[in-house]
Amino acid sequence: MKLTDQFRFVRQNMKKNKTRLFMTVLATAMGCSFLIVLASVGFGLQKSIVDKVVGDRMVTAIDIYGIAAKDQVNTSMDQTNIEYLRSIDHVKTVTYRNYILQNLNPSVEGTAVNSNGAVNVDFVAEAKAGFALASGRLPQNGSEVIVGYNIRESLDGNKPNTEPPSAKEWLSKTMNLEVEQLAKDGTKQSKTIPVTIVGIGQKPSREWQTDTKVYVGNEILTEIESFTQTQWGEKRILADKENKDNPAGYEPLGLQDPRQYREVQAIADGANHVKAIAEEIRVQGYYSHSIADELEQVNLVFLIMKIGLLFVGTIAVLIASIGIFNTMTMAVTERAQDIGIMKAIGAHPSAIRRIFLIESSMIGLLGAAIGTIVAYIISIAVNAGLPLIIEGFMDEKVPQDFIFSWIPPYLAIISCLISLAVALLSGSRPAKRATRIDVLRALRRDL
Amino acid sequence: MIEMNQINHQFTIGKKGKERVIPVLHNIDLQVKQGEIVAIVGRSGSGKSTLLNLMSGYIRPTSGTIHLAGQAVTNMSEGEWANFRLAHLGFMFQSFQLIQSMTAFENAELPLVLKGVGVSQRKKRVMEMLDQVGIADYAGHYPGELSGGQQQRVSVARSLMLNPPIVLADEPTGSLDSDNERQLLALIRHLNQDRGTTFVLITHDEQVASVANRTITLKDGHLLTAAPAKGGIHSYEAH
Repeated sequence: MKLTDQFRFVRQNMKKNKTRLFMTVLATAMGCSFLIVLASVGFGLQKSIVDKVVGDRMVTAIDIYGIAAKDQVNTSMDQTNIEYLRSIDHVKTVTYRNYILQNLNPSVEGTAVNSNGAVNVDFVAEAKAGFALASGRLPQNGSEVIVGYNIRESLDGNKPNTEPPSAKEWLSKTMNLEVEQLAKDGTKQSKTIPVTIVGIGQKPSREWQTDTKVYVGNEILTEIESFTQTQWGEKRILADKENKDNPAGYEPLGLQDPRQYREVQAIADGANHVKAIAEEIRVQGYYSHSIADELEQVNLVFLIMKIGLLFVGTIAVLIASIGIFNTMTMAVTERAQDIGIMKAIGAHPSAIRRIFLIESSMIGLLGAAIGTIVAYIISIAVNAGLPLIIEGFMDEKVPQDFIFSWIPPYLAIISCLISLAVALLSGSRPAKRATRIDVLRALRRDL
Repeated sequence: MIEMNQINHQFTIGKKGKERVIPVLHNIDLQVKQGEIVAIVGRSGSGKSTLLNLMSGYIRPTSGTIHLAGQAVTNMSEGEWANFRLAHLGFMFQSFQLIQSMTAFENAELPLVLKGVGVSQRKKRVMEMLDQVGIADYAGHYPGELSGGQQQRVSVARSLMLNPPIVLADEPTGSLDSDNERQLLALIRHLNQDRGTTFVLITHDEQVASVANRTITLKDGHLLTAAPAKGGIHSYEAH
């Protein structure tokens, strides 16, 4: 018997008692909707509270201290190490921070700036990692930079109880960076690179810390290095016999030499993946540390919470399954004679069972589809309405973007699968009963 | 074509612990050749329907063996029986046994659907068969909208849809008037001669029995006689 014919039979059968079918689908839809909405509250709260806390870079970042190398730890990472870290599953991005190895003497509007150095960062990676800004934005082209929150502190310190002017006022202003190099013939060369300040870094979390760095992207680094012809813009020292400290001079690494990266961080795409990533790189000989690494039970807590909510919701679907079982049992009883006739002329028991299983799964799927749509509507209504109710009746202010209910697509899929599985389970016994209908009793209308 | 050896059958009735065994058939030996029309006659309760039900696989014999179309069917599973029925057997019932929610076309189409025949081929074959039994104009009618004779024609069309080599008919004319009875018997004779279809007919009706090549009489579960239609009566010893 062809599948299309089985579906035709099911469609004909379902049309026979529309009211009963409607009530059964309604019960299933309510069960499925309850399951999704209940679980969505867990997912929503997790998204709003837990993910906001543990999704912070502080927790998702894994500091790579170095890599094991012949009885010592190599604290510099090369390009291969960076590529490897990027290739690990659930690593969102890899960041690094390297100091420009000379004082660039930054100045704004002709005034020298109190900066404790310029740092090269990969802004594309930083955008993914979540570079915290107090104001402004991340650079979008090669001549833009970010400055530290305390960049405007005066060179001789601030007077007690006085706040330095806000760095925010420097947004969009041009900063000049002075690059110097000593040519091999001893000639001193310099170049001014004008850059635009587009963002201000976040205030350091600890009171005693200050951030007066200038964060430059890879394009500016390239400009600096192409001028100095050395890695990280480092200045050379010429050989000088009269220089007692360093008579041989110093030639920094050239642009052709392998590049080393420092302050490398691998950023996980969620706090729950940090542990697995840390374990994987540890096996490869990396030394690493993360705050989330110490929160060993974080995965377990998330898992138990989600399973618990799904379990409670599944009970609602199981209650709905009683309706499906009842409907299918009635359907088998009502169609006993028809089933008997079909068996009498050669219908295979498995074909009969399949017809009833298709019917119960159609009820389950129909209920699940309607339930999912209703759940999404309820979820939107809850997110829109609940803050208003809380603000109106409880004098509490709900934080902006707070989500009470969130339905990730996989929750909807899991719920539909649960509904389908429960429907199949409910229909399996009546379907089996249908295959056991006695042909003679059915033909005698004795059922 | 049909071979039954030492068939005994009994029903068990009553509640558990107080069961009562009712013997229905006793040591039945029966052979039906290909292309034969065999009529089984006998009084009510003589075991005629039980014998036909055993041939149909609706019940299993208490003892003995059955071969149909060269296959041992006695110990076939439900699924095997289903496939066998579809491939080898056609059924005509006294009360037509049409599915009330299906049209005449859909009822007649049922064996083709169960066999997995394609829609276009099905449509052609069903219409040909309904035309052959003279009911094509009523293809879209439900059984409740048809007379007894028309319903039996649909039932006949359904039973012959897959050209079965054996047709088992339980009182096929029992619900028909004399005109319809005559037409059905003519059709049976025609199919027998034209296609070589083997018919086993259960009947009370002498006119029905008259189309048979052989008449078998059952009495109290014993097979008594096997008589050629137009010849001397051969007596079997009662077992």
